[in-house]
Amino acid sequence: MKRRTFLKASAASIASAATASGLLTWSPRSYAATISKTYYITDGYIAQPDGTSVYFQGYSQATGSLDVPALPMIVNQGDTVTVTIVNTLSTTHSFVIDGLVNSGPIAAGKTVTVQFTPNTPGTYLFYDNQNAPYNRLMGLHGGFAVMPTGSTNELYSGSPTFVQQLVWIFNDIDPVWHAAVAKGTKPTTAYQPLYFTINGLSSRPPGAAGNGDPTIDAMANPSTKLEGSIGDRTLVRMLNAGMGANSVHIHGNHWEFLTKNGQIRSDVWLKDVLYLDNNMGKIDAIYPFEAPPDAYPPVTTGRYPMHLHNEMTQTAGGGLYLFGAMTDVYFV
Amino acid sequence: MNQNLFRSQTMNQNQACYVYPAAPATPGIVTPDVTFYRSIYMDGSITMDDGKVVTVWGFTDNANGMNNANQFPSPAIRVTEGQIVHTVLNVPQMLIHTIHHHGIEPAWQNDGVGHISWDVQGTYTYQWKPAHAGTYFYHCHTNTVLHAEMGMYGPLIVDPVPNPNDPAGTKRAFDGGPTYDVEAIWACDEIDPNWHTLPWWAGTCGGNVGLNNLQPKYFIITGVDGAKSALTAPGVAVKMSLGQTLLVRYIQAGYFPQKITFGGLTATVVASDGRPLPNPVQVQSIQACSAERYDCIIKPTKAGTYTVQIQHLHWITGAVVGTAKTTITVS
Ligand SMILES: [Cu+2]
Ligand SMILES: [Cu+2]
Repeated sequence: MKRRTFLKASAASIASAATASGLLTWSPRSYAATISKTYYITDGYIAQPDGTSVYFQGYSQATGSLDVPALPMIVNQGDTVTVTIVNTLSTTHSFVIDGLVNSGPIAAGKTVTVQFTPNTPGTYLFYDNQNAPYNRLMGLHGGFAVMPTGSTNELYSGSPTFVQQLVWIFNDIDPVWHAAVAKGTKPTTAYQPLYFTINGLSSRPPGAAGNGDPTIDAMANPSTKLEGSIGDRTLVRMLNAGMGANSVHIHGNHWEFLTKNGQIRSDVWLKDVLYLDNNMGKIDAIYPFEAPPDAYPPVTTGRYPMHLHNEMTQTAGGGLYLFGAMTDVYFV
Repeated sequence: MNQNLFRSQTMNQNQACYVYPAAPATPGIVTPDVTFYRSIYMDGSITMDDGKVVTVWGFTDNANGMNNANQFPSPAIRVTEGQIVHTVLNVPQMLIHTIHHHGIEPAWQNDGVGHISWDVQGTYTYQWKPAHAGTYFYHCHTNTVLHAEMGMYGPLIVDPVPNPNDPAGTKRAFDGGPTYDVEAIWACDEIDPNWHTLPWWAGTCGGNVGLNNLQPKYFIITGVDGAKSALTAPGVAVKMSLGQTLLVRYIQAGYFPQKITFGGLTATVVASDGRPLPNPVQVQSIQACSAERYDCIIKPTKAGTYTVQIQHLHWITGAVVGTAKTTITVS
């Protein structure tokens, strides 16, 4: 098994940012296209907030890198999508989107190409269902967004509109399980997550090494933080790669809650907390970037947190509150 | 990295890291319509049905400088939509806490989030003006994982401005919303007694103190053990007459998901998280995650005693780890 040690999470986060801004960028098309993408299944170690080095696997941009999660893909409804998976590891892996594509087992050292046509706009998780759920938890997962044909600002045809969009993938990490998989064995202990991430990163509060460094700090990373001015309605496509149920709580504005687990909600509820199911739950919601309604005097700028209200996920290594899966919202 | 830990300069004990003690002036402060005074207690206790005593922390009402008795949950903050509100928090030296008015969306300085503004040491006045009637709660946002579990929360209710066309004394959930006669506030929470022996700074400088792994043993409703006491406790168990309308303000104050069932009664959910639903929905049960609120209208059609159950579901396995019960008695 090839092993590389990554001293920081930076390699992962930079490679997985969709653009320099971290937002998913998209130009509307009224025609279908052929989209081709190659991912390399690689592995390595990523330092956690308490300094512990933990083994991960990822769908990476190059053989020499490790992306946890993978760089997200965004395509048009009706596109022909071709994904080539190069398995550089000595174990069997796969590439699966439930309901859309399943590569089947990809043996050690093998390359497999799959082709599929997504016809339903929405948000999907691609992941490795081999050795389930371990390979997915090791980092073999990524976001896949399907835009409605010809649309630049809708989640589905006729949905409330947005002006920018992000993917948030949450994961929880039991280092004992990761160490077992690194040795090629199956975990034998009860799942006990000790680290918590959003798009592969944990946060670093003011005063901590790495605070404000977008390559380390989830509060500053462009793929996780929300940044906008009044009216910059932001679609967040939330995916739970982890095993724990999450409570996605945001300050400053309520969410417009659009879908849960792929189902379009019959009414748009305004919620400050969203119940993201464990084990691959998903939610789409818009953060409206309206003036915070309860401010006096009124304000249009400020900084607010997004955190998971089950709070255990706000820790690292069993302590270190503020070093977990959270990010910040910047009204600029 | 533990050599580089940031330590508060203003604290004479060196236990806490990544806290931001301050108590500046409130920006744009004006004369409020209503003021709530809160200090803190860390020596509260509740006695569980099995006889075990568990330490709890919370906020006291210290209006007029009088530190009133420890209440758990903390005393309600109840205001009217559109009022300018001051919440004056006093935290003694050596301690650090905040008040976050959960679901209220004020200026960042008044949001009570330590790492973005400050953790209060001294006295800070949170100024806010609620725009939406509904059910909220307030809680500490310092080392939140521990302080909220320790019980540092209380209900926060925003009532609508009374409608001049309504008879005096009419109570509504929100402007144009349903009226109600009887109100229940159920803040449902789980307790891991091992966490309740930790100091306030536990874990902040690193080290594994188990804050990733809540193992609850008690399941409470508005501060009362749901094993038995909450079945009859005044202020928790509901007594109403046939023909009356009940508003249940259900506050999910735990960390694990919960499933509440209303003993066979149908509830009409009219609002959630302080916002009316576009269309109310009728339910027999609600599964909720941490910090959600649901406003439920219940109009029993038959006298009797209905046993309400709150099942607490493990956040990873989904297994039921405990059940709290109370009653709605309709005469
Ligand atoms: Cu506190
Ligand atoms: Cu909260």
